[in-house]
Amino acid sequence: MSRRVFAIADTCFLIDWARFRRKDMLFKLFKAVFVPEDVLNEVRSEETIAWISSALSRDYLALYTPSRDEVNEARQLIEESRLKPHIPSVDLPEAICLVAGRRRGYVVLTENRGALLIPKFMSRYSGVVVWRSLEVILNAILEGVVEIDCSKPGELFSEYSRDTLHIFPTKALNRAVEEVKRKCLGK
Amino acid sequence: MSLGHVLSEEEARELRRRFADWDFISRQPPKIREALKYYIEKGDLYVAARIAGLKVEEFNELRIKAGIPNVA
Repeated sequence: MSRRVFAIADTCFLIDWARFRRKDMLFKLFKAVFVPEDVLNEVRSEETIAWISSALSRDYLALYTPSRDEVNEARQLIEESRLKPHIPSVDLPEAICLVAGRRRGYVVLTENRGALLIPKFMSRYSGVVVWRSLEVILNAILEGVVEIDCSKPGELFSEYSRDTLHIFPTKALNRAVEEVKRKCLGK
Repeated sequence: MSLGHVLSEEEARELRRRFADWDFISRQPPKIREALKYYIEKGDLYVAARIAGLKVEEFNELRIKAGIPNVA
């Protein structure tokens, strides 16, 4: 299956994303977003449960049950990453997403810094596309799935930061805002 | 499109430390307090929630009350 049709989100990404006022934009970017089964055990608020169950019922979200073989590869990835001191630790939830990204071409949605760095430092995973909320919002804007006010090119990123108490790296945020400005100018 | 730039572990930790409401953190029961401190050091929501004995969403709410940003 081609890349960008499906994504797989780790539990922490999805729970943080669920606080965003424009969270449904995620479902306009992908045909379906797979989530690990444990996401259902990790939510408590009525609002988040309602959002997830509604998305599951509309087939925007789908549960992902890893095979034994995928779990084995994920455990191997965790061990290998822990031997590399420049990579922050990765745990099983993110590792399973990276394995699904490598094997099935899913875009991996995570805020885990280790998971963000693994494609750069581990050749086996170099083809895996990993997006943070920053890249999700930027791609939603570039693909026109969300309306923006071109007089405020950084507004959507600021909204996300406020809703979720999130800080984006200045360099990456500036680059994203420049991309938005280019889109607004029709370049 | 992927933007690539990721902050170093030290930069991310420094931001979490700087914004954290240390008074709020010090008033929490021991498990919660230690979990928040772990989150400040590592930025790992899942493990921090396990330390606190809370669901990830509950811990995320607590992170926000403690003023600790998610830096990524």
